[in-house]
Amino acid sequence: MNTTKDTSQLIACLQCDALYDTPILKQGQSAKCIRCGSILAERKVDSIERSFYWSLAGIMLSVPAILLPIMGVTLVGQYHHASLLDCILALIEHGFIMIATLVFLFTLAVPIVRLLGAFYITSSFKFNRLKPSLLHFFRAFHHLDNWAMLNVFMLGIVVSMYKLLDDTELSVNMGLLAFILWLICSTMAASSLDQDYIWQELENKFVD
Amino acid sequence: MSIKTAQESGLALCPKCHKLNDMEEGADIHTTMQCTRCHGMFYPRKPHSLQYTLAWNIAALLAFIPANIYPIMIIYSVGIGDPNTILSGIGEFVDHGLYPIAAIIFTASIIVPLLKIVGLFLLVYRVHTGVRLRPDKHSKFYHALEFLGPWSMLDVFVVALLVAVVELGFVTSVSAGPAINYFTLTVIFTMIAANSFDPRLLWDKDQSNENAKEKNDC
Ligand SMILES: [Zn+2]
Ligand SMILES: [Zn+2]
Repeated sequence: MNTTKDTSQLIACLQCDALYDTPILKQGQSAKCIRCGSILAERKVDSIERSFYWSLAGIMLSVPAILLPIMGVTLVGQYHHASLLDCILALIEHGFIMIATLVFLFTLAVPIVRLLGAFYITSSFKFNRLKPSLLHFFRAFHHLDNWAMLNVFMLGIVVSMYKLLDDTELSVNMGLLAFILWLICSTMAASSLDQDYIWQELENKFVD
Repeated sequence: MSIKTAQESGLALCPKCHKLNDMEEGADIHTTMQCTRCHGMFYPRKPHSLQYTLAWNIAALLAFIPANIYPIMIIYSVGIGDPNTILSGIGEFVDHGLYPIAAIIFTASIIVPLLKIVGLFLLVYRVHTGVRLRPDKHSKFYHALEFLGPWSMLDVFVVALLVAVVELGFVTSVSAGPAINYFTLTVIFTMIAANSFDPRLLWDKDQSNENAKEKNDC
């Protein structure tokens, strides 16, 4: 029963446990599981460089995206606008602490930590400063995958604009542009990060 | 020809770094293992996956009831409050003729949570009984449910934005209603429920059936 095969020559499908020989992929190629159709392995193009610059841009954009007002309303001569941070503060003011905490986590804390994490990992690779502690860091990094919701918040902005258009005079502020760019940067930073490659490199260096 | 699985070959996949690890002699799928690559502890299959999925799912269903009864936001205009539930908010978009927006909110707030709850109950039931289990179909269905989960937060973000933007003192202001708490809990619970489900269980049953068939053929 126990086949003494080299485990580095094999991969298993994360979704259905089917076992395959490790495919040899060129940059930009991916392998699919023939049983369930999910992606088995992927070799991303120029992963470290691309993810480094996207995450760097994302980190810089996060400040205006969070602090600049996204949109404002005018009604009977009165004007008021709000930024992403204002949304969280307004919820706290109205006593919805749990919702404020969750909105803070999903739209602010998790995206920022993911950007900083991607930046830290890719810069360690780029400047050849690999440390064994990166193994633990990168493992913890994956817990955040499901909980970044910038794209959903973007759709929320669109929907609330339609809601406000009818009865008020709606104005769009610079914060919206910053937020859209921030969303693009964090999506690109996450999708260009080649996890298989990073794990393989870390293993070759630190695991004997 | 049937596909060999990692489990049959005495191997287990680390869920964090996707490294295959050798299972020790006599270890089963519920024995804790330590990954040789990332040093994380894991189980070859999520333990008590069906029970956890079921429990979180029931919690989500319970929270979904008050989420639809209570108002999710209250719009104050010259001091008079107008409470809106999730459904009445959708109705307003329909009244204004904004059908695509109404459809988006209806899908995110009503269809997706209900589909997730009903769908996960169905998947747990099918895996548990093994009757009419179609791994290829059911695993695609599961991934669709998992993908749609976060989009249900849409209404919560809309309310958060409106509360922050519409703050014109006596003229008009918006406050969140109690349903927002229950609705957010529904979304989080369904996300945890989907996360607790181990899709490999769909294939494990199939594999053991196929092996039994092969043995019978011999
Ligand atoms: Zn598969
Ligand atoms: Zn691992």
